[in-house]
Amino acid sequence: MSFFDTLFRNNGRERSSDTARKRLLTVLVHDRVKLTPDMMEQMKAELSAVIARYVPNADASGIEVTLLHGEANDHLKADIPLRRTT
Amino acid sequence: MARVITITSGKGGVGKTTSSANLGTALAQQGAKVVVIDADIGLRNLDAVMGLENRIVYDIVDVVEGRAPVRKALIRDKHFPEHLSLLPASQTRDKDSVNQDDMIELTNQLRADYDFVFIDSPAGIESGFRNAIAGADEVIIVTTPEVSAVRDADRIVGLVEAADKGKPRLIINRIKARMVNRGEMLSIEDVLQILAIDLIGVVPDDELIVPATNRGEVVVLDKTSPAGRSFDEIARRIRGEDVPFTPLTEHVGLFERLFGALGWRPRGSER
Repeated sequence: MSFFDTLFRNNGRERSSDTARKRLLTVLVHDRVKLTPDMMEQMKAELSAVIARYVPNADASGIEVTLLHGEANDHLKADIPLRRTT
Repeated sequence: MARVITITSGKGGVGKTTSSANLGTALAQQGAKVVVIDADIGLRNLDAVMGLENRIVYDIVDVVEGRAPVRKALIRDKHFPEHLSLLPASQTRDKDSVNQDDMIELTNQLRADYDFVFIDSPAGIESGFRNAIAGADEVIIVTTPEVSAVRDADRIVGLVEAADKGKPRLIINRIKARMVNRGEMLSIEDVLQILAIDLIGVVPDDELIVPATNRGEVVVLDKTSPAGRSFDEIARRIRGEDVPFTPLTEHVGLFERLFGALGWRPRGSER
């Protein structure tokens, strides 16, 4: 049956069980950290303030904080863009 | 001395009550003395699943409030009257009629005379759930291979551990081997990897559950039922027997297989 499945049913789309697993992992990282949107905003503001003190060309307003599920660990990832200086 | 085991799930409708009724019956059939308690106060169901709804006189709230001694409120099972009894929930009261101390007291009253006390927990993570685990020595979580059910089960794992009830064990219910094989359903491995707790059993999706429940019967007494066989195996594992996990298979008839290969599926069959 799997031969026909791959040929006709999935049309190159990801298997829905894989999608389910990825969605679950993402949602659980958020559930387990228990970070409310308010706390997330406050953390971003404080992070920006600290980084701006050390890195003058950091674009603190563009900070992105995301929770990621990794192989061994989950990650809290902060992405701070830097303005190009000449 | 009884072991007190709570069956819970977080999400509703994943098979807590069916599991409680079947595991209680299986252990009684295997010779143990068992009480099953319906802790879903206000939404009484375990009595109906076991076909005992017409025999109720007293319920759990009557016991807790002292109107009836627990022995008087217990209803003997129709198949194993000497081995299995039900303490029904109240239908007219709400979950605040009972507190955690009441549940601990109640389970302690039953410990001396039984081998197993099963508590069928309400869905959710509120006081009804907390009452249901208060008197428990062990917790079994029921989930189905769906995003929402597994997510809720993950919450429950954390709450059970925080309540010092040890690591709960897991029943994965309503799994469909053919869908897993086609990559259309989360597999046992997927669920176990996410929840990181020990598996105590896998129950296949079984169309015999609905007609059995319609009649107030449990599938564990039906030798032809795949789900019934799984519940019997889980009951043995609960008793400490080393029952190997059989790989998931689904019986597929010759015609179905032939037509299936051509992409045709019989009407009414799960896809």
